[in-house]
Amino acid sequence: MKTITFNQKKISSIALEFDELIPDEVFNWKKSDFDKYMVPIGNSRFPLSDYFDIEVEGEAESPAQVKMVLNGDLGRVKYIGCKMTDGQIVTNSSVDLHCGAEMSGGSILINGDAESYAGREMTGGELEIMGNVKEFCGASYIGDWRGMTGGIITIHGNAGKQLGECLSGGEIHVKGDCDILAGIHMNKGLIRIDGDVTRSPGGQMLNGDIVINGSVSRFLESFNQDEIVLDPTIAGKSFLGKYVKFTGDIVRNGKGTIWLSAEKNRHLL
Amino acid sequence: MAYEEPIRDYDRIVENCTCAFCGCNCDDLTYLIKDEHVVGVRHACRLGASKIMEDMDQRLLVPMIRNEEGNLVETDWDTALDKAAELIAGAVRPVFYGWSETSIETMKQGIKLGESVGAVLDNQATICHGPSLQAVQNSGYPVNTLGEVKNRADMVVYTGSNAMNSHPRHMGRYSAFPRGYFRKRGRFDRTIVTMDPRYTDTAKMSDIWVGFEPNGDYEFYTALRAAIKGKELKQEVISGIPKETVVELAEAMKNTQYGCLFFGLGLTHSLAKQRNIDAGIRLIQDLNKYTKWNLVPMRGHFNVNGFNIFMSFEMGYPYGVDFSRGYPRYMNGETNTIDLLTREEVDVFMVIAADPGAHFPGGANRHLANIPVIQVDIHWGPSTELADIVLPGSFVGVEVAGTSYRMDGVPIYMKKAIDKPETCRDDEWIIKELYDRVQKIKGERIASK
Repeated sequence: MKTITFNQKKISSIALEFDELIPDEVFNWKKSDFDKYMVPIGNSRFPLSDYFDIEVEGEAESPAQVKMVLNGDLGRVKYIGCKMTDGQIVTNSSVDLHCGAEMSGGSILINGDAESYAGREMTGGELEIMGNVKEFCGASYIGDWRGMTGGIITIHGNAGKQLGECLSGGEIHVKGDCDILAGIHMNKGLIRIDGDVTRSPGGQMLNGDIVINGSVSRFLESFNQDEIVLDPTIAGKSFLGKYVKFTGDIVRNGKGTIWLSAEKNRHLL
Repeated sequence: MAYEEPIRDYDRIVENCTCAFCGCNCDDLTYLIKDEHVVGVRHACRLGASKIMEDMDQRLLVPMIRNEEGNLVETDWDTALDKAAELIAGAVRPVFYGWSETSIETMKQGIKLGESVGAVLDNQATICHGPSLQAVQNSGYPVNTLGEVKNRADMVVYTGSNAMNSHPRHMGRYSAFPRGYFRKRGRFDRTIVTMDPRYTDTAKMSDIWVGFEPNGDYEFYTALRAAIKGKELKQEVISGIPKETVVELAEAMKNTQYGCLFFGLGLTHSLAKQRNIDAGIRLIQDLNKYTKWNLVPMRGHFNVNGFNIFMSFEMGYPYGVDFSRGYPRYMNGETNTIDLLTREEVDVFMVIAADPGAHFPGGANRHLANIPVIQVDIHWGPSTELADIVLPGSFVGVEVAGTSYRMDGVPIYMKKAIDKPETCRDDEWIIKELYDRVQKIKGERIASK
């Protein structure tokens, strides 16, 4: 097992782009390789060693044997774990845009908040965010109709707008509240929201499941109330309690389902 | 309104000029010229006429550089251009913003310069119809020309737009009042609907006003689509509108011969942002199963659409195009001017034919006050107060010719009517000159290494 520790020593006002610093690329790098590496900042590249002290311990023969630990203020570090296929990344701070975007394997643990586009178009692996996440988590790139297609995103805090936009597989679990339009244009997969949802979940969804344990302040007219189910099994997972099943979105002839906690959403029934 | 005497004291007339104000690009204007100044404009609205006639009001006439005391002082073109080129060549995160009030020819030079230095090129869409462009990328663009609306439309819907105030000739020239080939009686052959939370001047001119509640756009459009599909609505009131009204409107829209939906910033800037436009586009797609419907965004500046069309054609992305890695990238929230400024990433900012000082949020302007700003414009404005280098340009469509794109995507050639002030330069020339000087600086740096 190889552990690569990044200790921040200088903060850049212009974001550093870490898309080349993933286990797939650095598993066989030595400390001297990191010292030579020039990190993209704006339209230029600057020595990574100006911004981070790097410690390398152990050896790895594949990305799976790499653990990257990032310490410091990472609010201006973008694309952490972007396109990674294996290995492990742990950040001990909040992170900037596109964390875990297009990742297909491995795991990322964010001990803080994540900016927008976390887990964008990810196809596999695990992304765990201990704090809040901003907009378009697990979403698609602008114009694409496929967002996240596999893997698991767990958010321990709240989620911003358009969570799981165009979700086409995988699972997103939000343990806090969620802003508007969760699961818009959703094609497949599962979104679980333990807290409240502001309004309009599942707009224009075609398929997949959204489970909301909290209350929904405003619900779209284009869903049909189906049945009330006790302790349902949804996408292979068991849920306890009474849930109201809605199907839609009928404006797109969708066959998606939204499961609302019956107890918390009496105002919609 | 007081009676104004017609202008009779002029030297010559220039006909078929194009207005350089809003996205209507009215190309039927007549300029009355005296002593190489436009002293009168025929056919234009008050907004367009005042912009054209008051071209010398607070006009920037000579290049200026801000000195150490913080005052803008006059300088010569070479000094100003060299200083600007030096700043651009040394920048790590330069942003070139604006472009919507200049010509496509200038944008062409801008792309060349931006690509060579790894800049972000962005225009006013980032604070207006950007969400519309995102929605178009998601759901398509069922657009028609304004000529088709004039000749065919028997139902016109304005949503989130107050055309009477923002585009004063829109209803008179293209949509509500003109007699068209299939609409011989003009206004009497058309039904005008305004969907807007406010009872605007446009709503007052309409047959039907649907005043849904603020931020209720997405739910309202979804209910309208559900009604068009024949679903029985369960909620009695949807976004503040009784369900009977929604059903009646859906039926009326299905039973028109040709309809057009004009949407403005009321839709792009409310809660669901691009998803409102997305729902609007899908509404049009749904309606086309029954009859013919299209939509057109109510673009603001006369060439804001031009930048988006030109950038999409040249670079694949409509706005917020980032060349920092050597190839074009585009990501909302990441490569847009406001985000870059509020995140304090930008180190050199060039504003071309725009006024961020007047329109940007405080956080963005605060950062602009802390970094070098280069302004290419014709008038003194709040941005001039932020600028460190001022390069006076020319008035496209009055002093220089150029190409622009109307709100419906029709390209229009804007002719020159008068000569520009001697000390000013064409925008195109300024950007080209900056490119040449930046290349020279970069060449010298490579040689010295």
